[in-house]
Amino acid sequence: MADDNQNDFKTRLKIAKSKLKKTTDNDNSTFIGNAFKLGTELVASVGVGTIIGFILDSWFDTKPWFIIVFFFLGSVAGIMNVIKAANRMQEKD
Amino acid sequence: MATNPMHQFKVHQIGPQIKIAGIDFSFTNASLFMLLSAITICIILSLGTREKKIIPSKWQFISETIYNFIAKMISDTAGSKAKPYFPFIFTLFMFVLFCNMLGMLPYSFTVTSHIIVTLIMALFIFIAVTVIGFMKHGFGYLKLFVPSGVPMVLLPLITIIEIISYLSRPVSLSVRLFANMMAGHTMMKVFGGFVISLGILGGWLPLGFSVALTGLEILVAFLQAYVFAILTCIYLNDALNLHH
Repeated sequence: MADDNQNDFKTRLKIAKSKLKKTTDNDNSTFIGNAFKLGTELVASVGVGTIIGFILDSWFDTKPWFIIVFFFLGSVAGIMNVIKAANRMQEKD
Repeated sequence: MATNPMHQFKVHQIGPQIKIAGIDFSFTNASLFMLLSAITICIILSLGTREKKIIPSKWQFISETIYNFIAKMISDTAGSKAKPYFPFIFTLFMFVLFCNMLGMLPYSFTVTSHIIVTLIMALFIFIAVTVIGFMKHGFGYLKLFVPSGVPMVLLPLITIIEIISYLSRPVSLSVRLFANMMAGHTMMKVFGGFVISLGILGGWLPLGFSVALTGLEILVAFLQAYVFAILTCIYLNDALNLHH
């Protein structure tokens, strides 16, 4: 009788463990979290680049050259950030 | 005024005005809700750690789940070296989560929908991570801006781009949280206003939207706290384990 109970418990434990694995496998929240991350990543770099360009322009009185150059550098940085973030996501899988 | 969707973000002082050296230190509704979320966190965690049972009570289960969640997140993203920073990231996650969640209650105030709050948190993280990086690696931390395997001609350009992307971290961190919270709450208020103005005949559709948006906002409230914490871990990882 006791042996039976133990076997029963073991099978139940196995089923519970396999269920646990299934739920951790499709963890949706991290994917949605990643998706939210990408948008601002792109915009922020463009903004920061433009602000740096603006500050340099007012320092050296070279309007509008630095702001143009740093706008494009900021865009490049933004795209690179997104690529980095996407690579990081793929590594995790 | 009640139908103005931006009215909910107004900061007004509670009690007397306190001025020290010309700076306004008055207690406002923002401070009230920061305090409330801190108190709520303390209550939940102290209830959870009061009795240590093998079969946990509900409160113990909640606190253990959150603890495990954060501990796993830190070890996954930043490795074992980041263990000393667990208390900071745990506090940060809980504070942002509870500020977001308390903001979901009707008539409450969402602290994280103000960019100054999120920007201060992001700047603190940014400065702390930079200081940690320099403390661990000395001037070798600057290697972060000089990726290996880049031809000499492109190196100055890449370095400038890397510096821009490094400086954009606090901006993207703070704008993400602030914009999500503010946009969501404004949208909910706008749809709520539609229910009133369309009356009993046409108000059902926006009411349905409002219900759906509330669910979405609770998801966003959790996700933004999670993203805030996980990005802190990622930045910490860059500072602790220099890969470039």
